[in-house]
Amino acid sequence: MKIFNKLMILVTVFGLSACGDDFLDLSPSNALPFETAIQTVNDLDAAVNGLYSQMQSSDWYGRYFILLPDIMSDDVKQNSNANRGRVWAEYTGTINDVQNIPRNTWTAIYVGVNRANFVINSNLEFPAAVQTQANQLIGEAYAVRALAHFDLVRLYAQHYGFTANASHPGVPVVTEFNQDAQPARNTVAEVYAQVKADLNQAISLMTLNRGKGRFTKNSAKAILARVSYYQGDLAAAGSLANEVITSGAYSLTAGSNLLAQWADLGDSPDAILDVVNNTLDNVGSESVAGMYNVSGYGDYLPSMDLVSLYDDADIRKGLFVEDNKLGGGVLGNLRQAKYFHPRGEDNFPVIRLPEMYLIRAEARAVSGDTAGAIEDLMTIRRRAWAAAPDVTATGAALVEEILLEKRLELAFEGHRLFELTRQKKGVVRVNCTAPAGSCTINYPNDFFILPIPIEEINANPSMTQNPGY
Amino acid sequence: MNIKFKVLLSALLLVLGVQVSFAQFTATGTVKDDAGEPLIGATIQVKGTTTGTVTDLDGGFSVEVPTNTATLVVSYTGYETQEVGITSANRTIDIVLATSAEQLAEVVVVGYGETSKEGLTGAVSSLKSDRLEQVPLASVEQTLQGNIAGLQSNLSNGQPGSQVEVRIRGQGSISASSEPLYVVDGVPLFNPGDGLTSQSETANVMASMNPNDIESVTVLKDASATAIYGSRAANGVILITTKSGKAGKPQVKFSAQVGFNDWAVSDSKNVRSLDAREYVDLFMDGELNRGTSIATAISRFNNNYPDPQTGRPAVDITPDGAGGYTVGEVRVDTDWFNELSRTGINQSYDMSVSGGNETLTYFASASYFDQESPIIGVGLDRYSTRANVSVQALPWLKLVNNLNVSRTYQSGPDDDTAFSNPIYTMYLLPAVIPTKDAQGLSYDGHKGFFMGGNNPVGSLSGDDDLYWILNRIVDNVSAEVTLAKGLKFKSNWAIDLYGYNEVYYRNARYGDGRNSNGFAQETTRNITNWMGSQTLNYNKTLGEVHNFSALAGYEANKVTTRSSFVQGQNFPPSPQLRTIENAAEIVGGTSSLTGFAFESYFGRISYNYDYKYYISASLRRDGSSRFGTENRFGNFWSLGASWRLDQEAFIQNIEAINELKLRSSYGITGNAEIGNFAWLPSVSFGIDYDGSPGGTFTNIGNTNLTWEQSAAFNVGVDFRVFDRVSGVVEYFWRESDNLLLNLPVSRTTGFTSATQNFGAMVNKGIELTLDVDLVNTGDFSWTAGGNISFIENEITRLAEPFVDGTGNRFRREEGREYNEYWVYDYAGVNPDNGLPLWYTDETREATTSVLAQAQRFYIGKSGTPDFFGGFNSNLSWKGLTLDANFSFTWNNYLYDATAWVTQGDGAFTPRSQTSRVLNRWRNPGDITDVPKFRWGGNSNSNTQGQSRHIYDGTFIRLRNVTLAYQMPSATVKKLGLASARVYARGINFWTWTRDPDLGVDPETAVNGYLGSPVPNMKTLSFGIDVGF
Repeated sequence: MKIFNKLMILVTVFGLSACGDDFLDLSPSNALPFETAIQTVNDLDAAVNGLYSQMQSSDWYGRYFILLPDIMSDDVKQNSNANRGRVWAEYTGTINDVQNIPRNTWTAIYVGVNRANFVINSNLEFPAAVQTQANQLIGEAYAVRALAHFDLVRLYAQHYGFTANASHPGVPVVTEFNQDAQPARNTVAEVYAQVKADLNQAISLMTLNRGKGRFTKNSAKAILARVSYYQGDLAAAGSLANEVITSGAYSLTAGSNLLAQWADLGDSPDAILDVVNNTLDNVGSESVAGMYNVSGYGDYLPSMDLVSLYDDADIRKGLFVEDNKLGGGVLGNLRQAKYFHPRGEDNFPVIRLPEMYLIRAEARAVSGDTAGAIEDLMTIRRRAWAAAPDVTATGAALVEEILLEKRLELAFEGHRLFELTRQKKGVVRVNCTAPAGSCTINYPNDFFILPIPIEEINANPSMTQNPGY
Repeated sequence: MNIKFKVLLSALLLVLGVQVSFAQFTATGTVKDDAGEPLIGATIQVKGTTTGTVTDLDGGFSVEVPTNTATLVVSYTGYETQEVGITSANRTIDIVLATSAEQLAEVVVVGYGETSKEGLTGAVSSLKSDRLEQVPLASVEQTLQGNIAGLQSNLSNGQPGSQVEVRIRGQGSISASSEPLYVVDGVPLFNPGDGLTSQSETANVMASMNPNDIESVTVLKDASATAIYGSRAANGVILITTKSGKAGKPQVKFSAQVGFNDWAVSDSKNVRSLDAREYVDLFMDGELNRGTSIATAISRFNNNYPDPQTGRPAVDITPDGAGGYTVGEVRVDTDWFNELSRTGINQSYDMSVSGGNETLTYFASASYFDQESPIIGVGLDRYSTRANVSVQALPWLKLVNNLNVSRTYQSGPDDDTAFSNPIYTMYLLPAVIPTKDAQGLSYDGHKGFFMGGNNPVGSLSGDDDLYWILNRIVDNVSAEVTLAKGLKFKSNWAIDLYGYNEVYYRNARYGDGRNSNGFAQETTRNITNWMGSQTLNYNKTLGEVHNFSALAGYEANKVTTRSSFVQGQNFPPSPQLRTIENAAEIVGGTSSLTGFAFESYFGRISYNYDYKYYISASLRRDGSSRFGTENRFGNFWSLGASWRLDQEAFIQNIEAINELKLRSSYGITGNAEIGNFAWLPSVSFGIDYDGSPGGTFTNIGNTNLTWEQSAAFNVGVDFRVFDRVSGVVEYFWRESDNLLLNLPVSRTTGFTSATQNFGAMVNKGIELTLDVDLVNTGDFSWTAGGNISFIENEITRLAEPFVDGTGNRFRREEGREYNEYWVYDYAGVNPDNGLPLWYTDETREATTSVLAQAQRFYIGKSGTPDFFGGFNSNLSWKGLTLDANFSFTWNNYLYDATAWVTQGDGAFTPRSQTSRVLNRWRNPGDITDVPKFRWGGNSNSNTQGQSRHIYDGTFIRLRNVTLAYQMPSATVKKLGLASARVYARGINFWTWTRDPDLGVDPETAVNGYLGSPVPNMKTLSFGIDVGF
């Protein structure tokens, strides 16, 4: 028996410990190997969702890309306890490597570029039955890649008209993944060319409509209209805007619904393209709304320079709410409530229909179609302010009226600084809470753009820093 | 699996050699000691057979004898073994065993076995249970500091039960872990570190283990000692052995201790919060320096800071009409430091019983440990039981089961610069903010303008929750089979189960739950650590002087972690409804699964010639799921030799030398703490958009990725001279190679870095340990000892320098020491205008107030000490003992990572500051190093990563002082006890720091990072140990 016992023990023990050959082949539960992850059009769909998800980032459409152009301008002023982004608002930011906004925004948008490239370069053969869907998905990726480059070139490079042929440094154009790449900066002209090429490719590929939260042929055209507009090609911009307006895909929200639609969750008013957020996407106070809202960080306030431009009868004046804790004086007692949900669970507009009307208006005004221009202008103005007096201005004065309306309509949506520099104007803050030196910032100025992050300079010998930093 | 078949075959052959036999007659008798007391469990074996038995409770036995005449071998631990003849005619016998005179050689636990201290070829230090028992600290690593040469252990967070950083012979890695491997009773411990918690506070698996259950802690330092642990041994190995029973009468012990906890280094000494008048002065200064009018400044103050009881301002400020202002009545003056501090209570109760006989021994314990931090709402309690049972079931079969069950509860605050971290906000919350509102609720009137309205007093008094519970069951089973003389097979199986649950709740009124009408997150993590190891041990002596021993083994180990959490918000108004079932909205939730596996083959051969010359060699082949497919298995090895000079005649002639041994080793080990799937280029999922699942390319990966390698050389001398001085001197050199580096890539790739095995680093140094018997005269004895370690570190290969660490304070560069600070060098304040000054470059010839014109450079200070160690003194007179234990660290520098906010010169309106701001520049001509205060900041004066926030971290600390009285046995016997001891003990009772400006606790992370942790505590406790 003893022999048998000993044998049993040994055999059992060795039997139990004999690990299979796959004992060491473990896989992560939330990831697939790079080579085999994308096989079908459904996989491609998931990859496109991953791409849009990046646009929600606090460092892109979730917050800083929207916040920076406004806090660096005359539409927004700093609350006395503002912390986040303050140095950029006050033009005291330096290449000081602990300033994380230029670094994180740069990184986040290039992550978006890489995710778009992951879709665009997936190089799969699709069955005919799903070719349309595949084309749509790849087209959307082209459109996001275009938007990403466009956003980067506006934040980190001087505007298109800064030099005669836009030959000044832009940002690197990245169209494929290469771990060892150390790209130099393309010129602004080259970046715009790539942006337009990508958008045109997107327009030609996309045929489906997957809702306001995803690119369509028309929303790509709307972005292309904006790109052309920033390039100074008003004719092209106006023509594209016209295509979007007349496509019938979008309609203006009624004035009476305007405030309600800003306040509720879901689509933005007049949305052409939204970054969709739902309650699961809440980022706490780390959203653009959290930066304005008293129950978030509440760091930034509407400037009275802007508030005073709205007529009391203008529905949009209802987007300013009182906060008596502010104590009046130069801080006033108003906050802006365009973004009502401080935790960032509401959709955020990337582009809205009124911008198309106003681009078309400006194009018409410049081309001499004064009546058409005024009609577009008043469509937007009277929606919010029914009693607005007739506009009789023509030429340059009419363009000024249109730009004023654009400022009022698109306030806090991340355009103001870009609009000013595009017009080669500086920032003049009358109602100024910044230190004395940064109440007037003259054009041209090195500090209208962000520094290239020091981490990029260190890792990429081809990279050059922006002057002044 | 080849090796296993060979083992199996050889085992079979041996087993078949055992003979089968039949009984002839039954012998009976008793076994007693020389005092006539029966010996329970003494072994009786019939010589030359495998037949045997053990004595019963009366010392009696009865054994089947197979032949007509035979010899019985009678043995019992601690007694001389006796052989007695027996015949079928004379079959009853009474045996008296004599006490053994032979002293047991000191046994040292090593990897997969034990060895005598003399036989060691490696660098090994150990601590025995007498230094570990009833130390009022939650986890055993906290006791190691200052007690082991070459081991640096820092408690950087006073949260009871938090992680303890341990470095054995320096920093071994750059981006992987530098922590040693812990092995408890032969089982590699899985310590997920901060990975256990979802909040930033630390939970430590080791804190779930009762230090009173530990028999010994052995620290393996060089390759000869560690290489048997292969790819996990590069940072050293700490072996923990729990207590087991010894044959003999049951020993029942009861220990109780009660103590009081306070801040080890009181913050009020140098750095404190401002009072109301000081804050008003600061507030007005900041406004006026910003150009605000006095009227506006006062109105802003009044707006922010009402007194909730009267509705009037917290402090009356009135313009004096002459361009200044006067401060009148102060209605609110909160001392946040006092409000958050308390005297914490420490309690510990431990009951154990051990004993057994020759066939069965047991150790069982039950304990309760409770430790309250001197910060309100912060603490730990632990229930723990253990049952270690060993059965010599058959003469050739020994079964052991060690079972430990524990429940550890910890509660604490958020840490670092979380708005709700009390140790941070207590400096920032102005004294003019009250703790309570008019209704007696926690005040939240500042939530519109001040750090989310956080109120740490309310939060830690029950408005919020952050606690975590670790339930742990460890069962370790082994069977040891004696196959033949000197040949043993051991099969060891262990399972270590962690059930971790964490509750985070933030109330609806203020703080992080204010925008969601209350917010809660509950996290569950279940971890299974499974291990099986099979070893064969063989010992053989040939020709009297050639002593061999060999070990061969196979081990498999797998750890699986399954985690989930759910988040809810929008809670009903009653604040006691906090579980997520009460929430109106579920806003988040996830589950995940991860793990790793190791498969290993190992062996060791030791040989000595006549106990004089020793050599040993070990080899381990490790495969791991963590290594890339191209590099899945690696080999690790070591060679060691020692020479006991004291056994040589020419040394034995020198009377002064009692012991002298020279030893040296070299070997290769690995560090596998490189992340579970870092190697796998992958597309990860769990990214959603608009309600649809998404995935994207998130990990560059590297299929060649593999362990970091460490090559270590050691030479040491062990000595004892003049019968009273013993010590160890060691020199070591270790090169860590193939270090994992996250090499930065251009961020235009969509990635920030790519991981490669690239870097190299050398640590070398000298360790000295000395113990002296100063006085030993009957009643009075005095021993003293100490250890000191000098370690030099140098990065020897790095592709490009890279910037690292909070505040970007480090620049890792080839040829540099790892923790050298690379910062802006602060040059004080310009007396003319109060602006901060920095040196423009390392020549320190020019200064500037414009940060952009200054450069970072190496300022010649490092987070690594020049040397560290500890010393102790043990005085004993009759039954009284006084033991003192100090530890020290010399010439290391600390980086205060929150100073950029707490000494922000107004950058963070309207946060208060530490009392250092009282020295600020006020008027032209003021000489100070604190710049002018201005709301909105002063010329980047608060920038992170400047020498302004670096302090000398040199300190000496009286870690443990104990005054004890062992009651005389006569008195004790009258009380019906076996022994009794009472004592008073102080932990961290005294701390000296060299830098007078360092107001906080000097014990920080090994990289000099000083956050705003829960403070380390000073404990005064009283205890009693009773034996029954």
